[in-house]
Amino acid sequence: MDQKKDVALIHYLMILPGVGFIVLFLGSSILITVAQSFGLFSVTGTSRFTLVNWKTLWERETLDSVVFSLKMGVLSSVGTLLFAFPVGLFLRKGGAGKRFLASLIKIPLFIPALVAAFLILNIISYHGIVNEVLLGLGFIKEPLRMLNDKFGWGVVAIQIWKNLPFVLLIVSASLASIRDDIIDAARNLGANNWAILFRIYIPLAMPGILVSMILMFIKAFGDFPITSVAGPTYPPSIALRMRNTATLFQEWDKAAVMGVIIIVTTLFMTWLYSRLAQAVEGGNP
Amino acid sequence: MTASSLRLASTPLHVREARRKRLVYGILTAFFVVTQILWVGIPVLMAILWSLVDPQHPWSFPQLFPEKLSWAQWAYVFKYTNIVRALKTSYTVAPLAVILSFILSLPTSYVLGRKNIPGKKVFMLVVLLPIIMPGMVVALFLSRVFAAFHLTQSFFGLVLAHTLMGIPYMIRVLTTSFEAIPQDIIDAAENLGANTFIKIKDIFLPMVRPGLLAGMVFAFTTSIEEFNLTFVIGTPTFETIPTILYSFLGYNFIRTNASVVALIMMTPNIVLLFIVERILKSDYLSASLGKV
Repeated sequence: MDQKKDVALIHYLMILPGVGFIVLFLGSSILITVAQSFGLFSVTGTSRFTLVNWKTLWERETLDSVVFSLKMGVLSSVGTLLFAFPVGLFLRKGGAGKRFLASLIKIPLFIPALVAAFLILNIISYHGIVNEVLLGLGFIKEPLRMLNDKFGWGVVAIQIWKNLPFVLLIVSASLASIRDDIIDAARNLGANNWAILFRIYIPLAMPGILVSMILMFIKAFGDFPITSVAGPTYPPSIALRMRNTATLFQEWDKAAVMGVIIIVTTLFMTWLYSRLAQAVEGGNP
Repeated sequence: MTASSLRLASTPLHVREARRKRLVYGILTAFFVVTQILWVGIPVLMAILWSLVDPQHPWSFPQLFPEKLSWAQWAYVFKYTNIVRALKTSYTVAPLAVILSFILSLPTSYVLGRKNIPGKKVFMLVVLLPIIMPGMVVALFLSRVFAAFHLTQSFFGLVLAHTLMGIPYMIRVLTTSFEAIPQDIIDAAENLGANTFIKIKDIFLPMVRPGLLAGMVFAFTTSIEEFNLTFVIGTPTFETIPTILYSFLGYNFIRTNASVVALIMMTPNIVLLFIVERILKSDYLSASLGKV
């Protein structure tokens, strides 16, 4: 009995370098964020417990930023899925050219986010190739403003382009685990293609779909570089506003409140993710 | 009745059905391949063209292609910007971060992969947190922690920060490799009298090597791409390729310079990851991105 306990202690000590490193640095930065949002460990001025920083929650500008980031999160995750799902369905069935297609699609996964942002902003700029082609075909009379536009379509376009392979990887793993027997059985019972799509493929791939959408949401919600480069001048994303509040205006306590907003949203989503991961394990033995 | 329609009528129905299906499949494949080539190819091609525009002959609106191509932009970027210094910083920080994350991950991954300890699931989730947590929040408030230990604007601080971003991939991939070793082999070796040293040399090391390679490449490319932490903790003392690119995309947007830097940054990444894909099974890609 004693020996078993001893061994376990060694195991926990061995886990310490890797997990401890993450807990030390990530944990301390999260703690600092929470503490500073309540006025403790203040960078400027005196440190005392206060709720005054949390008033920023009711400021118009903060709300605009939160709404904008939520919007980017939802549109990016839904948009990427709309592109990824048909490709995933197609890749499910083997065949010639599939391997080539699969490796072609993966390329943006290997391209750094900032480079991806640049590549896409290049083609969607005012005189970029997309506008020129649309003008040439006569679809539009004037070039569309897609970059730094008020709505944030430029950001969504970059997020979709960059993260399509990531979502595809998860969704096609889910789709691949659906057995052909089920589809054959459904066809024998007279199901048409639409019925198979809506009553077999989508429900059975749902865990993968939800997990990929949540991870995409988190990415796009807390994004700094892409919105900074391609987003509208107002409102900035919540991460961009946080950074400006901290380093440009030196209002670290107020920035900490925004940090907490982002962390809480992310942790909530991570909690959802772990629940869904369990559902995947339970659903597909 | 023509000859072809006669032949068509004589072929059995199921053969015609199979032919039709193959045709539809072929058209679909062609469609997806063409759209994907355009989807990936056009943005990359535009960047290459922009990086080759001759400064004396600017590429402006009505022209379909640049009037004259030259290497002048590349020469300019290497001569007058901080790119050489940034390249040096990027490519010294990355190997150091890889080595540090490897040393820290090895015992952790061994236990997570081979021992069934209580709380394992929680540990696996904690390991993912640096990837999940939004980079800017971590960067800003880690910089407060680092400031207390005089680690901001320091080379060592930069290495620590990059290790934090790379270590999740390293731990996850190594854990998967350790998990994959069959217990039988270890038991057999022990029965034949193998000691710990022999077990490490002849079982663990050879069987973990592919995973180790994958983990190293993931940690390396993560470090090369890392922007948020470097931007807050390193600049202006230390610049890496991403922070240089950001400065070209920001207030002083210089498309030609940005093209050059973007190409410098993405080429080694794509080459490295494709080599790994060729060598390894693609399972490692999903293993590092999280269990699904």
